[in-house]
Amino acid sequence: MKVLNVVGRRIPMHDAAAKAMGQAQFTDDLELPGMLQGRLVRSTIAHGRILQVDVSRALALPGVKGVITGRDIPDRVFGIVPKGKDEHALARDKVRYIGDAVAAVVAVDMETAEEAVRLVRVEYEELPAVFDPLDAIREGAPVVHDNVPNNTSASIRKEWGDVENAFAKSDYVFEDSFYSQAVNHAPLEPHAAMARYDPQSAELTIWSSTQIPYFLKRNLATTLLIPENKVRVIKPKVGGGFGGKIDMFAKDFCACWFARELLRPVKFVYEREEVFQNTRQRHPMYITVKTGVARDGKILAQRIKAHADGGAYNSTAPLMITLSCFFIMIPYRIENLFYEGYHVYTNKPTGGAMRGHGIPQARFAIERQIDLIAGRIGVDAVEMRVLNAIQPGEPHPAGFIINTCGFADSVKEAAKAIGWTEKRGKLPFGRGVGIAGASFPSGVANMAHLSSGAVVQLTREGRVNVLSGAADIGQGAETVICQIVAEQLGVPMEDVRITAADTGICPLDAGTFGSGVTVRAGNAALLAANDVRGQLFPFVAERLEASIDDLVAADRRIWVKDSPDRGMSLTDALQAYQYADRPLPIVGRGAWIPPTEQPTSLLTKNGNFSPSYSFMTQAAEVEVDTETGKVTVIKMVTAHDCGQPINPMLVEGQLEGSIIGGMGQALYEDSTCIDGQQYNPSFLDYGFPTAMEMPEMESVHIDTDDPLGPFGAKEAGEGTQLAPAPAIVNAIADAIGLEFHRLPVTPAMILEGLRKKQGKAEGTDSSPFYRRHYKEAGVEPGDIKTFEDIRKVPKIEKGMFRDVQKNEPFPYGDMLAVPREKITIFRQPLKRWSGASPK
Amino acid sequence: MGKKTVLELMINGDAFEIACAPNMTLLEALRDKAFLTGTKRGCDTGGCGACTVILDGEAVLACLTLAVEAEGCDIRTIEGIARDGKLSSLQETFVEHGAIQCGFCSPGFIMSATAMLAEIPSPGREEIRRHLAGNLCRCTGYAKIIGAVEAAAGKDRGGEK
Amino acid sequence: MHLPIFTHRQPADVAGVVSALAEGSGAKVLAGGTDLLVNMKHRIEMPEKLVSLKKVADIRGISLEADATVIGAATTLKEIRQNSELERKFPALFQAAMSVGSYRHQAMGTLGGNLCQNTRCRFFNQSWQWRQVRSLCYKVGGEECHVIGRKHACFSTYSGDVAPALLVLDASLRIAGPDGPREAPLSALYSGEGRTPLTLGRGEFITAVVIPGAAARGKSRYEKFSLRGSIDFPIVGAAVWRGDGSVRAAYTGVDCAPVRASELEAELAGRELTDASLKRGANLAHKAAKIAPTSVHPVTFKRELMGVLFVKAMRAIS
Repeated sequence: MKVLNVVGRRIPMHDAAAKAMGQAQFTDDLELPGMLQGRLVRSTIAHGRILQVDVSRALALPGVKGVITGRDIPDRVFGIVPKGKDEHALARDKVRYIGDAVAAVVAVDMETAEEAVRLVRVEYEELPAVFDPLDAIREGAPVVHDNVPNNTSASIRKEWGDVENAFAKSDYVFEDSFYSQAVNHAPLEPHAAMARYDPQSAELTIWSSTQIPYFLKRNLATTLLIPENKVRVIKPKVGGGFGGKIDMFAKDFCACWFARELLRPVKFVYEREEVFQNTRQRHPMYITVKTGVARDGKILAQRIKAHADGGAYNSTAPLMITLSCFFIMIPYRIENLFYEGYHVYTNKPTGGAMRGHGIPQARFAIERQIDLIAGRIGVDAVEMRVLNAIQPGEPHPAGFIINTCGFADSVKEAAKAIGWTEKRGKLPFGRGVGIAGASFPSGVANMAHLSSGAVVQLTREGRVNVLSGAADIGQGAETVICQIVAEQLGVPMEDVRITAADTGICPLDAGTFGSGVTVRAGNAALLAANDVRGQLFPFVAERLEASIDDLVAADRRIWVKDSPDRGMSLTDALQAYQYADRPLPIVGRGAWIPPTEQPTSLLTKNGNFSPSYSFMTQAAEVEVDTETGKVTVIKMVTAHDCGQPINPMLVEGQLEGSIIGGMGQALYEDSTCIDGQQYNPSFLDYGFPTAMEMPEMESVHIDTDDPLGPFGAKEAGEGTQLAPAPAIVNAIADAIGLEFHRLPVTPAMILEGLRKKQGKAEGTDSSPFYRRHYKEAGVEPGDIKTFEDIRKVPKIEKGMFRDVQKNEPFPYGDMLAVPREKITIFRQPLKRWSGASPK
Repeated sequence: MGKKTVLELMINGDAFEIACAPNMTLLEALRDKAFLTGTKRGCDTGGCGACTVILDGEAVLACLTLAVEAEGCDIRTIEGIARDGKLSSLQETFVEHGAIQCGFCSPGFIMSATAMLAEIPSPGREEIRRHLAGNLCRCTGYAKIIGAVEAAAGKDRGGEK
Repeated sequence: MHLPIFTHRQPADVAGVVSALAEGSGAKVLAGGTDLLVNMKHRIEMPEKLVSLKKVADIRGISLEADATVIGAATTLKEIRQNSELERKFPALFQAAMSVGSYRHQAMGTLGGNLCQNTRCRFFNQSWQWRQVRSLCYKVGGEECHVIGRKHACFSTYSGDVAPALLVLDASLRIAGPDGPREAPLSALYSGEGRTPLTLGRGEFITAVVIPGAAARGKSRYEKFSLRGSIDFPIVGAAVWRGDGSVRAAYTGVDCAPVRASELEAELAGRELTDASLKRGANLAHKAAKIAPTSVHPVTFKRELMGVLFVKAMRAIS
């Protein structure tokens, strides 16, 4: 690991002290004189036409300053992905899920606004609703959006290589199906926005808890019908996002609308229940994976079919399903892959980007199946992953350019750290270990024009001011950028001040998604800092009579390498620069975009997706209480290749947070939706892990040095949430021999599985008929462990049943596994199956 | 609107006069009337601990405390933890250990931990976990928070302040 | 979420509470507020008047009266958790108190408040907005139970941790009221019905809980099952007590009231406690309750847990 003067060091976030003192200002902490409070009126049906909205009683309530409905606002849809725009800020003709925003009220205080909401009357014509994507794709299903008659609003079908041919050549082909549940981001800070309008300049300013200030600006301009250059988005401190604050929301639009209409500042803050139901969630997904392997476990081909439950609107649909497809191509080498994925509308809360963005679901399916296959063919699950691991620099079937890849090492290191050889298959019943691998892009390249700019100013007194569009949502983007700039200019962190993100002042950055900020905004800041160096250092080199390449800068000093006394302080250098009549401040600028060979063509051509890819393997040790079904995660290990960490402490923070989130996905969390309504939209009922659930966590750094990342860094925010869930479910399989194909794995499911297993065992024990045949074959049920072992199972033929029925009691003979009194009905088919006779 | 009366709330040693009806919570009084926004609203129903304040030495949830019932009590919020511009040991260790990411849950955690350390100067790790389990964090995964509390306990024991 | 409007009184003594509760029609006691205030924000309880116990003398604290332990009803759960005598003599009470919610809830919540907490249901404990999707349920003043689909019935589940522990400790209550103070066994507090779960009359409130000395001459335990280690209500909670040749078991989370497992207790009365006899007892546990699907957790799972938790608890005190 590179440890430089500032980069590579465990430095606290630049605003940590302010946060520790409660001084950090989040959107709801802001207040402007005359500010009004807003609240939304929401649909109580899952699908229906809006016939009438009666706001008269609400308007008549003293203290209410305005009420609007979908009919009062421009007929403009928004969405983070331009081709997927399908949502109105307030529903216009139809509501499409329980909670769809129908009207908005503003009042002098929150109490009045809430009262006003209760006074709005909406009349609907209820329509049939559909709640499962597999139902929604059927002929005759209710149509959620009229322009998408089959409810499939985004899809992708891609093939690399020749899958059917490869299956034919495989020694084994397995097909398994999986389900991954709805998970909520649950950031501690609810979504919020405050807006102000200046009638003199006709400029709208909005402070929003958002991950995407610039995209928000664009969407606001489009929906409010005002020029984009009249919208200014300021991002205050954001209390977590995890993908849930990628998008415009009704709160953004309505705050702006009322601010402009009423010429007063307006604030909208969501209730926790609204964050659960009315923002975004991780798409539930049905995934079927068919894999062909060679005898040794080498993956020859995969065929994957996925249906994502999109909920009522698109949000990131086309992007999500594409990511879900493409990232099957890492971390394993898959020469032949066929992927078909469908994003399907249902009348439920909307799915959107959530940490991993379509990939956690696919990763769960694939990593679970690797373990299933390994078990069936008698190969070690760790060895199978190493065997299939991508290596750096080798040609990639989808055209990814993987400069650095520590995946194989990460598998071995994670296995070692969890004690794989000593523990797998060897721990007492109820305890087990499991492992899973993953990989993630450091920002995406070929999907859109995603670039970032930075301005760095070095003042006369040696202070550094950075302007960046990076949207820090708590992951530390601003700190990392400051570290990069501080390193390049040879100053300590405290001399650097950063302003981000204010679209009125700062250069553009695409936003915090796809784990691209460190690479993209970091590189932009690096370029800007180098621009400053490029102006000052030649001057200093001349003064020191040295070559510019020999200059070193640190601790507010610049000197010649290996001759520390041949140098000058930064302030002396700047003073000399000033007296030489050079212009001050020294301003550097930079803009960076990932290298793209083919722009925005990923759906049709192969190409590199991202400047770099992180790789990791996570291993879990679990203990299952076999009486209650409760699972305790004892330890989670992550072996992580994120290139050179700019700040190891922040990287650890990302890791540890990811793990708890992944654990939540595996065991505790589920936005349980029944008939389109979420039953647990609160912190009490939604299984958000507490400190009591935290396992022991260990991390192992796998050292690689990426050529494209600033200082060799790669992403470290999202990849680590892909593997914890499958690692845990794989560990449960090791612990109790139950294979789960769906998330979350609850105690009730475990108990049910254990009882069934016991029942099966008791079945063979207490059915004399089967006991007889097993005995004759010289086999115990417990001997059946691998695919090969199935050949040992005694073959039961039709004639055997006929013979048995000759014995008392008729018609069971000695076949019964339960007491005869428990039988309620006996059925025997009267006809043979027509067609082929049984073999 | 309920009938308002004027309360005197002692917050961080200062007297605040607040006009409010009985149906105002302490959280609302702190944030909307006293403009002390360090105490956060994460859920408003007691499920996350982001609104933790110290009332007469006890770490309690401001969202489920009536403002009128806090009259006559010694109310401490996050704004009152640093003294004379100097961070408390706990605030320092939170910063140093990377226990703060987005910072939204941090005031609540610091208040819970401050109250705990005042009562239990040498807590074991399990004890810290149980005391802090009512404070939710989505960013950090808790490990560095617990580490920071342990370190602060050690610091205070060692006499550093 | 703003609280609805109410008037607020802070009487200085028990008599003041009684008279404040008795006057008018919609008065409720405010103890810690961790149950009532959430329900008020959700607008499922909208008392016109809250009568606070905050300033009332003489209903907080732990004392001995001859052989009996008397705990003032306004004693916080934290105070109970921190009392080493209680921990030693009545482990089930200690374990129950320290499992309630989080330590924040225990600092605010009181013994009386926890016993009197409202019953719970996934259709009831939801915000006003959430509940607009269907008609008002019977418990809130409507006609129908959305769980069972029957009219004029309520199956909401009692979910307090402390009640089963106090039931097996044979606790009784001191209740103040307009007709003077009275004592009653804890079990008499619960109607067994979901809409009006408590039998307290108008103007009545609990001033103290009394645990007989005999309870300390046995071993007790509370075993809580919840998904998380904090904040959660019990999915099922089981309390057991054994002493003088008998076994007592009580449950929460399985019926409209906390319930004693009388068939289980009868089976084990006077018997030697072996693995086999405990298993027989465990198999009878589910008969103690009529489990309704008021939560998202399967009824079969809860039923199974009743037996499992009984055995776990008994093993812990053998």
